[in-house]
Amino acid sequence: MASPAAPRPMLQFVIRRLLEAAVVVFLALTAVFSLQFLAGDPVKLFLPTDTTPKQIEEFRQRLGLNDPWPVQYVRFMRGALRGDFGRSLRQGEPALDLVLERFPATLALSGVAMALALAIAIPVGVLSAARRNSWFDHLSIGATVLGQAIPGFWLGLMLIYVFAVWLKVLPTGGRGTWAHYVLPSITLAAFVAARFARLTRSTMLDVLGQDYVRTARAKGLGPRRVLYRHALKNASLPIVTLLALQLGQLLGGAVITETIFAWPGVGRFLVQALLNRDFPVVLVGVFLTAVTYSVLNLLADLAYAWLNPRVRYA
Amino acid sequence: MGRIAVGLLALLLALAGSLPPTGQAQERPLVVALGAEPRSLLAMHIVDWTTNVQQMNIYDRLYFWDGMPPRIKPSLAAELPQTPDDLTWIVKLRPNVRFHNGDPLTAEDVKSTIEWLLDPRNQSHYRPRFSFVDSVEVVDPLTVRIKTKEPAPILRFWLVDFTVHNAKYIRQVGNEQANRQPIGAGPYRFVRWDRDERLVLEANPTYWNGAPAIRRVEFRFIPDFSARLAALLAGEADIVKDVPPVAVDQVNRSGIAEVRGVASSRINYVALVNLKPGPMQDRRVRQALNYAVNVDEIIANLFKGRATRIPGALSALNQDVNPNLKPYPYDPQRAVQLIKEAGYDPTRLEFTLDSPSGRYPLDKEAAEAIAAYLGRIGIKVRVVVNEWGTHLDKIINRRTGEMFYLGWGPALEAQGTIAELFRPERTYSGFGTPALTQEINKVLPVVDPEKRRRAWYRIQVMLYTEAPWIFLWQQHDLYGVNKRVNWRPHPAEKIFLHDASWARR
Repeated sequence: MASPAAPRPMLQFVIRRLLEAAVVVFLALTAVFSLQFLAGDPVKLFLPTDTTPKQIEEFRQRLGLNDPWPVQYVRFMRGALRGDFGRSLRQGEPALDLVLERFPATLALSGVAMALALAIAIPVGVLSAARRNSWFDHLSIGATVLGQAIPGFWLGLMLIYVFAVWLKVLPTGGRGTWAHYVLPSITLAAFVAARFARLTRSTMLDVLGQDYVRTARAKGLGPRRVLYRHALKNASLPIVTLLALQLGQLLGGAVITETIFAWPGVGRFLVQALLNRDFPVVLVGVFLTAVTYSVLNLLADLAYAWLNPRVRYA
Repeated sequence: MGRIAVGLLALLLALAGSLPPTGQAQERPLVVALGAEPRSLLAMHIVDWTTNVQQMNIYDRLYFWDGMPPRIKPSLAAELPQTPDDLTWIVKLRPNVRFHNGDPLTAEDVKSTIEWLLDPRNQSHYRPRFSFVDSVEVVDPLTVRIKTKEPAPILRFWLVDFTVHNAKYIRQVGNEQANRQPIGAGPYRFVRWDRDERLVLEANPTYWNGAPAIRRVEFRFIPDFSARLAALLAGEADIVKDVPPVAVDQVNRSGIAEVRGVASSRINYVALVNLKPGPMQDRRVRQALNYAVNVDEIIANLFKGRATRIPGALSALNQDVNPNLKPYPYDPQRAVQLIKEAGYDPTRLEFTLDSPSGRYPLDKEAAEAIAAYLGRIGIKVRVVVNEWGTHLDKIINRRTGEMFYLGWGPALEAQGTIAELFRPERTYSGFGTPALTQEINKVLPVVDPEKRRRAWYRIQVMLYTEAPWIFLWQQHDLYGVNKRVNWRPHPAEKIFLHDASWARR
């Protein structure tokens, strides 16, 4: 990725960004770790009602919850460095394993949804810009406003009722075949696609007004070539940035979509953990989300530099 | 661009078309849609309805509640337990029962299960329940003798739904593996557990009570209620618990599924917390609140009759219920009079009522209705609606208002309700008096059934008078069931699929 002429600044750039990412992850974990003390005592929530106070004490002792919080904090951070986040209070299994087990499902759904969103949004955005104020432009602007305004849970339930309950052509939820991807990825893609389409349209409008585009046209290049080869490449910078942000959000778990479609992903699991005060699992979730965001941001910056040599190593 | 969109649409439709059509009979598994996956698949590990309802199908149980009203019947056991003296319990096992891997189920397995749950390292929720066990001996391959440190008649009930693990297997592979690949002696064998997705089971052809009629079963985990209902209406799910009363007609009109209801042994109540200083410490105030709320009207109007009133702390399904108690009548004047006798002005009383939302049928709405009735005699009640975790947290850590709404069950015998709720150290009711505690502690070791029943009757009268709750109702459990399934809901909230079969059409 780095051009052979300047490997060193690129490497420094990457290292600096990785260090920054580590600080972000550390701060996020510290914040959540401190916040858990504000919530109620989790132990009693997991034990049946006939547990005696003595036995509750034993549980707390075994989980190390009776230690002063600095001791708990150091122990937690040490564990986290080794990838050991303790066991889920609710399920008794290693928290990291429980979350990682669900990661592929989220990854797959996010990937499909993102691909679908881009496949629709970019051509729509480009064409809207190219035919500004045409009926197509108005229609697509209307559609994108709608796409951003419709709440995900409503769209999801409507899709389920129409395609699964009424027409019976798609499953209501769960995972298994490709058909299971259709409704949840449309639900997710609707919102994301709307944002991308709007962004593409506005940056394309910007780019299309510039001199080099006129030059390209003057050279006698076909409109298609001008649009997609010349203009879109330059318009893609903000799109890449948005891509990283959106992907980060999706990978953190599309909570509502995963819940409604019974998709066995990370988001749904983490929300349940939060509602159940299962703190080890919540901390793993925060850790992974922070890492994902940082890595994606780094990748976006690298892609940015690659696409636009002017910002390289700045 | 148009071509791309059309292409995508065509692709999606093609994918949809390539699906096997849903709703085909016979080959499809029976699907039970639940809100969550099991917290563990180790027998006798975690007390949790969702967990237990699934485990039971894999492990089977020594005894179970059967019939209506429910009575204890042997399942893996051959007969009801014998108690030659107050400290000895003899459990005889059914001969020729085998685990799914072919191992015979013997007294050794029962002994090992009890010892496993008592071992603190296994962090079993059942440990407190069996803490009075002194020793477990294998008398012969089919007989276990349990000795208790003190007389513990409650053991009879703790042996109900007691699931038995395979001692040899768990010793061989350890807890973690036995959790991932459980081996029981129940009607269904474990096939697969896809985390947060489904638990797949298949019929055990050598089940002692005959192979189940339905060959394949799936518990599917659908957290969102609307989505569970959609799965039922689409014919993807066959059994769904807790259809909200407003959706009953929709289900019944679907042509695919119907609502089958049962008066549950789970009761709902509004606890009146007397452990903090204030007017709630006065019995007359608590009685007044019972007179002031028209429970029958709430049942008729809000629940459309889908709740059954309880006069005291136990329901009619409870084997220890005192049949002589009659519910407090609706008498707002008497209520006002009682409050005045207690030295309070009802229009100056202000209480906070904590309620969950969606945990029990129409819980929040019922709490609001109760607040409105109390408002009619001038009492200001602020209803605080909590997310379930918060609600539980408030109750357990005693941070609720003077009143809180809760459900309790399955409640089929007295001790599990009265001793659990009305001793001051227990938090799920927030009530206790020295006299009551003394009476409860006296009955706990009484083994003689007749003496015990009489003692529980007396305590129920005390409770009725003390009015620790606004006594409400048994909730009705409404299950949405696909019409092609023969299965009736159980008042103890069990979904034991050996009882199910496909309806012939």
